Amino acid sequence: MLSMPELGLYFSFLLFLVGLFTVMFRKNILFMMLGVEILLNAANLAFVSASKITGTIDGQVVMFFVMAVAACEAAIGLAMIISLYRAKASVEADDLKLLRG
Amino acid sequence: MDNPVVFELVATVLKVVLALVVALQVAPLMVWVERRQAALIQRRIGPNRVGLFGFRLFGFGQPLADTIKLLFKEDFIPKHANKVFYVIAPIVPALMGLLAITGIPFGKYVEVMGYRVNLQPVDLNAGFLYLFAVSALGVYGVALAGWSSNNKYALLGGLRASAQMISYEIAMGLSLLPIVFIFGTLNLQNIIGAQSGHLLFGFLPAWGIFYAPVSFVIFVITMFAETNRLPFDLAEGEAELVAGFLTEYGSMRWSLFFLGEYAMMFTLSALTVCLFLGGYEIPYLPQTRIVEMLSGTLGNELALWATFLIGFGVLIFKVCIFMFIFVQARFTLPRFRYDQLMRVGWVYMLPLALVNVVVSAVWAALSKF
Amino acid sequence: MGIETVAFILMGLLAVALAGTLATRRFPVSAAMLLITLMVLLAGMYGLLDAHFAAVAQIIVYAGAIMVVFVFVMMLLNLPPEETRFGTLTLGEGVLTLAGLGAAVVLGTKVGHGFLRSAFQPTNARAPFFPEPENLKNVAALMFTDYLWAFELISFLILAAIIGAVVISKKRKTHAEHA
Repeated sequence: MLSMPELGLYFSFLLFLVGLFTVMFRKNILFMMLGVEILLNAANLAFVSASKITGTIDGQVVMFFVMAVAACEAAIGLAMIISLYRAKASVEADDLKLLRG
Repeated sequence: MDNPVVFELVATVLKVVLALVVALQVAPLMVWVERRQAALIQRRIGPNRVGLFGFRLFGFGQPLADTIKLLFKEDFIPKHANKVFYVIAPIVPALMGLLAITGIPFGKYVEVMGYRVNLQPVDLNAGFLYLFAVSALGVYGVALAGWSSNNKYALLGGLRASAQMISYEIAMGLSLLPIVFIFGTLNLQNIIGAQSGHLLFGFLPAWGIFYAPVSFVIFVITMFAETNRLPFDLAEGEAELVAGFLTEYGSMRWSLFFLGEYAMMFTLSALTVCLFLGGYEIPYLPQTRIVEMLSGTLGNELALWATFLIGFGVLIFKVCIFMFIFVQARFTLPRFRYDQLMRVGWVYMLPLALVNVVVSAVWAALSKF
Repeated sequence: MGIETVAFILMGLLAVALAGTLATRRFPVSAAMLLITLMVLLAGMYGLLDAHFAAVAQIIVYAGAIMVVFVFVMMLLNLPPEETRFGTLTLGEGVLTLAGLGAAVVLGTKVGHGFLRSAFQPTNARAPFFPEPENLKNVAALMFTDYLWAFELISFLILAAIIGAVVISKKRKTHAEHA
């Protein structure tokens, strides 16, 4: 029988898979960003579970740092989406393939 | 009942029920208070007809009549609305308001059958951050209501509410940091304990408001913004947005928003009282002294219960002062313009809160180490 | 199996199911709401793992701040519901993806079971500074000693991100307006 933190590692793996699927296959940039958030959350779950397994706190500290990075990513990414939407009136990744435009 | 786990469970359920009972009384009472006080300010009479058993009692039956009216109104869902989110949206603020109130300590502790029962229904290790977490989620109710109504005015109201809450939450969180490092804990019971029992400069009660007055001012202002009350109720500004996010709502769903709003007002007022005004403690007369005085005649267990009742009354009294200020401000101050609101939040509140944190940190560091 | 483990498994399964539904939504706002629910569930799981600070920070920072910005932008754009379109993979890309997944499974299980269990025996790891229930103090004690540099660098990163976001989203004058 697996203990709770070990189960957490498995859940983290499943969540990571789903997030990866969202990032890879959805064509809407907003959905791709939500997928990235799932990926980061999966990583956080793994960090907290590992911190419970090893009996240390380091995982929880790193989890906090990941959260700060996620905040930066959301701020920059959403600003880019707004600016792209102003220029192209679309948030589809396929519409944004010009290097200059 | 011999099992400590079962005892703990029963005690927790009872405490949560107590908190919920208090929270559910706040909304109807406050509706009546608000209407009567508005009438007094505007030199009208206000609702004074509905009474109980032939006595008018200043219209005290009005909330009951209002509730019955709202319950029997048609439960209407507009055709163009997004049904799922339209139904979910009012539940969110009501739920969060009721959840938040469980984090307030209503008294120190009582002893039942040899067990010590902490009178704070939910006492997490993260202390009052729990209240912040819950109140941070309340904004989704407003945002969802605005979006799901599929109405321009509602959408604008929802957008304004989410922008406003985000801007003011930062100043709110920063304003409480000095309290945390002055008292050295996040636990509300410990903070209240640290505020009682000794005097500041020999005559002031050692309340947070005297340690961190700037924090108190910032917190009270951001409290108005967080609960979407005037002068910060841009989200439902009637003059510009019909009724903002409430435009498409009616009957019981409409009143759920107000249940949440009043519960949140009560919770934030109670949090202010606990952090800055000594919570359930009477100034100059700490509860430990009251227990000592009473236990001679009543016995220890009963004395604790009596002290709890006294403390509960004191807490409610202090909260009522804040509720009074809330209503008074609503009918005294005009509404901010949207750009003024954002300027107050980002240009004045945030830098002030940051300077306050740094100054208090230096002071606390010099006095502690 | 204790009631906590049962709750943990239920929450984990629900979280994975929510993530799965999220990937197929038409409205970005409903996807964001599902993600918020997922984050609250994860916060509950952190609470069950005795990481109280992680749980509260997850709700305040992730669900209460980052996702509000997401919802705000989605409402600002207020896009019409789109057809759920998925991209496609060529055969080579599919094979490479599967190979990558296989490597991830092998490494993950090896690291998860072998490495964590052997290398980080409790004797090997540093014990928390404060006794058990003081999760918050432990996190703070570690964050402001061993991880102080990381903390400071992250704060600079956030500052850079704020300035970057303002610069990027600022309305640029078009050439027509210049002329």
